[in-house]
Amino acid sequence: MKLDMAGTGAQRKKPFALLREICAEGDWKCLLSAFIWGAGCFCYRQWIKGAIYLLLEAAFILFFVFFGGEALVGFFTLGVQEANPWFGIEGDNSITMLIWGIFAIIMIVVAVMVAWASVKSTYYAQCRVKKGEKPETFRQTLANLLDKNFYKTALFLPVISVCVFNILPIVFMILIAFTNYGGDIVPPKLVDWIGLANFVKLFNLSEFSSTLFKILEWNVMWAVMATALTYFGGLGLALLYNKKCVKARGFFRIFPVLAYALPGFITMLGFKFMFSYGGPINYYITEAGGSAVGFLDIDAGWNARLVGLFVSGWMSIPSFMLYCSGILSNMNQDIHEAAIIDGASAFKRFIYLTLPFVIFATTPILISSFIGNFNNFGVFFFLRGGLYVDGYFLASDTDLLINWLYNLSISNNYYAIGAAISLVIFLFTSTVSLVVYILSPSYRKEETYQ
Amino acid sequence: MKKISLKASTAKIADTVATYLIIALISFIFFVPCIWIVLASFSKSGSIYSFDGFFPSAYSFGSFIKLFTDTGTYDYPLWFGNTFKIAACAAVLGTFLTLLTAYCMSRYRFKGRKAMMKATLVLGMFPSFMSMTAVYLLMTQLNAVNTHWGLIFIYSAGAPLGYMVYKGFFDTIPISIDEAAKLDGATNFQIFLRITLPLSKPMIVYAILMSFASPWSDYLLSSLLLKDKSLWTVAQGLMYMPDTEFSRYAAGSVFIAVPIMALYICLIKYMVNGMTSGAVKD
Repeated sequence: MKLDMAGTGAQRKKPFALLREICAEGDWKCLLSAFIWGAGCFCYRQWIKGAIYLLLEAAFILFFVFFGGEALVGFFTLGVQEANPWFGIEGDNSITMLIWGIFAIIMIVVAVMVAWASVKSTYYAQCRVKKGEKPETFRQTLANLLDKNFYKTALFLPVISVCVFNILPIVFMILIAFTNYGGDIVPPKLVDWIGLANFVKLFNLSEFSSTLFKILEWNVMWAVMATALTYFGGLGLALLYNKKCVKARGFFRIFPVLAYALPGFITMLGFKFMFSYGGPINYYITEAGGSAVGFLDIDAGWNARLVGLFVSGWMSIPSFMLYCSGILSNMNQDIHEAAIIDGASAFKRFIYLTLPFVIFATTPILISSFIGNFNNFGVFFFLRGGLYVDGYFLASDTDLLINWLYNLSISNNYYAIGAAISLVIFLFTSTVSLVVYILSPSYRKEETYQ
Repeated sequence: MKKISLKASTAKIADTVATYLIIALISFIFFVPCIWIVLASFSKSGSIYSFDGFFPSAYSFGSFIKLFTDTGTYDYPLWFGNTFKIAACAAVLGTFLTLLTAYCMSRYRFKGRKAMMKATLVLGMFPSFMSMTAVYLLMTQLNAVNTHWGLIFIYSAGAPLGYMVYKGFFDTIPISIDEAAKLDGATNFQIFLRITLPLSKPMIVYAILMSFASPWSDYLLSSLLLKDKSLWTVAQGLMYMPDTEFSRYAAGSVFIAVPIMALYICLIKYMVNGMTSGAVKD
């Protein structure tokens, strides 16, 4: 049995169906509250709610009159007046204008949503009156926000924060990929929209495209290997420590946790020193009569890649192990006891009971781990940062796309090309993980273990 | 009859021995680099090149004393305080936002939910610092460059996107508990506060640790936003130390790893023992 915890009836309708219904059934009050927000609330004597809507509308109008309109125009022109210190002209800053333009567009979307909420609330009040009930009082609205509509209250802050600090910057960078921002063209010079030229450059200009495909190939290989290592390593460790015969597991678990507690950049720099010529590993190799190995040299090739893989496993296996132990401890023990009574062997119990449960619970984190590894910036930045190998444009043979992106956009100011590369990275990771996610049991049968 | 039990017990002993051998090997692999850094922090000479392989050639407490007293060029105590403040605030705010999101996504079926789930997944797929330039520009607009608050907001605002792990956990808490509370007249807010949260202690601890650890050891974002040396975090300060200060660097690293380890050891029982086992009998 599944409780319908989030609203009932009209509120569960799809937005478009509801819109059509309101167009057909709604009275003049609904129409009015689309333009004068809260008008409907006043008609139904919901004074406080109406006043809140009305205040919001006033705020939006003030915003667009004094600021938003100009910002919208700026979004399309990206500035018309170049700064000229000789004549004391304080020119337009294209980048600032782009940011505020995006902000203004977001505000328009928000305004439409608030207007829609105002219409809806009027329509619901109309429905209630028609049925002979009283319109919802303000107190009831508040109470619902803690009960039936608790999700609205709870999601409000997360959604706002994600919009401002994640969506806005991402939209900004996507748009940058279609401008000529970067190189010589940075404010106070004016930036312009140039359409798809950056992508054409990336795939056609030989210096970019050859590097792009070489790095992409290695990047995919890396992500698969590193994720497999983390997943099976972490799961294996969790199962190992979970075995009945292991005493003092809290003590043994301390060691991986040490690795986990050590901040990433310290680990990576530490390993860089450890694999360097003066480090302990080369010391013991030479002691044993071998000659020193340049693990991280410019011509190290696969040595450096394997060192990277080891370091990444060393760092990420412990956290995955902790997560898996949490999952295992949450597993329903009754089925296991039943299986033991029925005579199932330990191996069978693992295959048929433990594994499906663990896979169910870990699919989301498996995907995020794949993406994290695909975009694992730290390992090769700290191990071999700043190396540029021949045959690559501002990159080395261990660099992932994300490292290349850093070299291009933060070290060398190729902002627009960098943004275009981010989009390529994004297209790749998003396709892979959406497909995996939709096919996974934890998406399709969410309630299996509830 | 006796033979079989003997055979079974030999197999069991072999299994136990093998298990312990593997555990010993794993412990060794994880322990060696850590102890290496600890030893380096007690090295008498500061430089990396004066090691006899794994061990320093002479030991002293000098680097720890220098770390906290010689604050002229490398003001470690100040950086430590800065880092702690940023990481603690970001952990509290971030965990709060993340748990709210995860709970809603797990327990409610509202319109736009699947769309939001897909959207967060898509957002998580953008390279993390692809937007760093944009975040930096945004922060200059908000006058938040060179402030700790700007950094805290960025860290915690991104946290809800990682809600999936915690949703996975909430999904495994039997819904029959909620239903029972509902029948007793609890509102959804009360269910969240009184039932779900206490049941999710292990996952909350995991969430806090995770959202504390990432700002604690972050270098990139803080180096982008904090330009003033007095505002720096430990990561920036340690990166700033040259090779010749290797033992001071190691000492600083040891110190920054201590709080997280202390946190973990205090909270270990919550992380591993699921609270739900036994809460519901089917």
